[in-house]
Amino acid sequence: MRAGLLAAVAVASLAVGSAAQAQRLAGVRPDLASDEGGLWSVSDKAEIGARQSAELDRDPALNAYVRDVACKVARDHCADIRVYVMDRPFFNASMAPNGYTEVWSGTLLRAADEAQLAFILGHEISHFDRNHSLTSWRRRKSTANAMMVLSAGVAVVGVAAASSAHTYDGASSIMDATRGLIDVVYLAGMASLFGFDRANELEADRLGLGRAAQAGYRPAAATEIWRAQMDETQASDFKRVRNSGARTNIFASHPVDAERIQALQADLKALPDAGAPGRARHRTAIRPHLAAWLRDDLRRRDFGQTLHLIDRLARDGEDLGVLNFYRGEAYRQRRGDGDLALAREAYLAAAAYSDAPVAVWRELGDLRRKEGDPAGAKAAYDNYLTKAPAAEDAWIVQDSLNSLTSGK
Amino acid sequence: MKRIVAAVAACWLLAACTTTSTQLAFKDAPKPPAGARIILLQPEVHLAVLTASGLQEARADWSQQGEDNLAAEMSASLKARAHQFRMIDPEGAMEGRTGQLLRLNEAVTRSIPYGYIPTKKGAFDWTLGEGAQALGSAYEADYALFVTARGTYASGGRVVAMIGFAALGVSVPLGNQYAMASLVDLKTGRIVWYNTALAGPNADMRQPDGAKLLVTAMLKDAPL
Repeated sequence: MRAGLLAAVAVASLAVGSAAQAQRLAGVRPDLASDEGGLWSVSDKAEIGARQSAELDRDPALNAYVRDVACKVARDHCADIRVYVMDRPFFNASMAPNGYTEVWSGTLLRAADEAQLAFILGHEISHFDRNHSLTSWRRRKSTANAMMVLSAGVAVVGVAAASSAHTYDGASSIMDATRGLIDVVYLAGMASLFGFDRANELEADRLGLGRAAQAGYRPAAATEIWRAQMDETQASDFKRVRNSGARTNIFASHPVDAERIQALQADLKALPDAGAPGRARHRTAIRPHLAAWLRDDLRRRDFGQTLHLIDRLARDGEDLGVLNFYRGEAYRQRRGDGDLALAREAYLAAAAYSDAPVAVWRELGDLRRKEGDPAGAKAAYDNYLTKAPAAEDAWIVQDSLNSLTSGK
Repeated sequence: MKRIVAAVAACWLLAACTTTSTQLAFKDAPKPPAGARIILLQPEVHLAVLTASGLQEARADWSQQGEDNLAAEMSASLKARAHQFRMIDPEGAMEGRTGQLLRLNEAVTRSIPYGYIPTKKGAFDWTLGEGAQALGSAYEADYALFVTARGTYASGGRVVAMIGFAALGVSVPLGNQYAMASLVDLKTGRIVWYNTALAGPNADMRQPDGAKLLVTAMLKDAPL
């Protein structure tokens, strides 16, 4: 076991001293023959895929807004990065080594204002500026090599001990122990990899905050968005999610936790509590997409989280027609005890606003019919058909209406 | 000690005696008629170095050399045949309907070597479907020829690891390179011919001579 511990310590010690990478110069492409050139070529191919993806959001106004915020925090790297908005209902943003950046619609929906988006983009651009993917790859390579050498060493000792053991049982238990030691080496190596990524994340948080603040954004936005993520995680319908902690990225190895917020808070003390939140500008940019993105969010089928998100979006009393309609949709699809009544209440609230989707009338019609209120249902269906005579499902609603009138 | 030397020697011998070996998936492929118009998608190559522990590190320069050499060799060896060939840059073709067909082709040809689709166990009847006609009319072509290549080359550290692990009786692969070609009938969408060629030590596509050897082996039984 001592050999295993030593091996674990040796691998873990590789992870020390990973923070504070060198900054990269603007507009520089790496040499084609270098390891970085290889990473870029793979990213270039992935980027072509993103450009042709059906999930790419091509709304010019939205793209211009995100691009503008990205350039403000990227400064001299503005020309080095290309931001793609992907319509995917998760809180995620990513930066490839070559400057190809993705921001998912789930992130835009969850950022309360421009300052929060600026922090996220500043975080991603800091990954680029500090070559995190390259250093991460190099670390992975050297860790894998060290793990290979160490497991070879353990295997040699194990084989030698097993061949000198005289009974079969003795030999096999020694081999079992050897396998155990190799696992220890492996686990220590993996832990050091995660540790390294964590250091990168913390550095990107700190630098991203600096970039956003320098661009004139309110620094406190950085901790607000992480806190909101933690709150949303706790609002999940699923215990597994609530216990897992918020993740900055659905593929991430590490949750957003108190450590990250604490580190940011220490930096916040050094910055003036001033700057633009850009709340109205952010909302104007995402407003045309609210309905589509909330519909996507419902596909995750974590209604607790969707309802929490809608509550946040409704806080300032804007877009209440759309928001209440999707609140109703969440209750209707959840189908828990009392959810039908809550859905009706939300649909009714939505119907009072001019921005309510016309579908609210169809849903109200269905609900009232189910509750044995044919007159109310008829009024709602009529309203739907008047407002949306060319709707794809108009014939279904017409059929429901006919069956009400004929008393079937 | 003698046993270790023997193991290492065997590994070296095995690596050395590999030759370009082709696997032909469809033997009696119907030949396109003389004068058929064939588009050739610019070869797509991904080459990497195999690190000591077996991670693949992309080498953009090698991939570029491979693409250039394969494209040059394909053009040279097809020029002499009785069909009209035209090289297409996939970057421009990846938009819209043609882009969808190219991606479908990628997915289909990727599935062929594994044979994990139970219905495809018997005859070779892979097809992109009649939708492939869109590609034909977009490029005024009767057939499309696709070439892709993948491969890894062992780093110095990997060779050392191979020797060291051979002593423990563990074999460490040193990397290999292969090229795949497929010919699609753009009227029916059928893949009429498909072949892979595993490169031997002399068929290194990073060198013009090696690429020539690889292309010759790959096209040996092509119905062209």
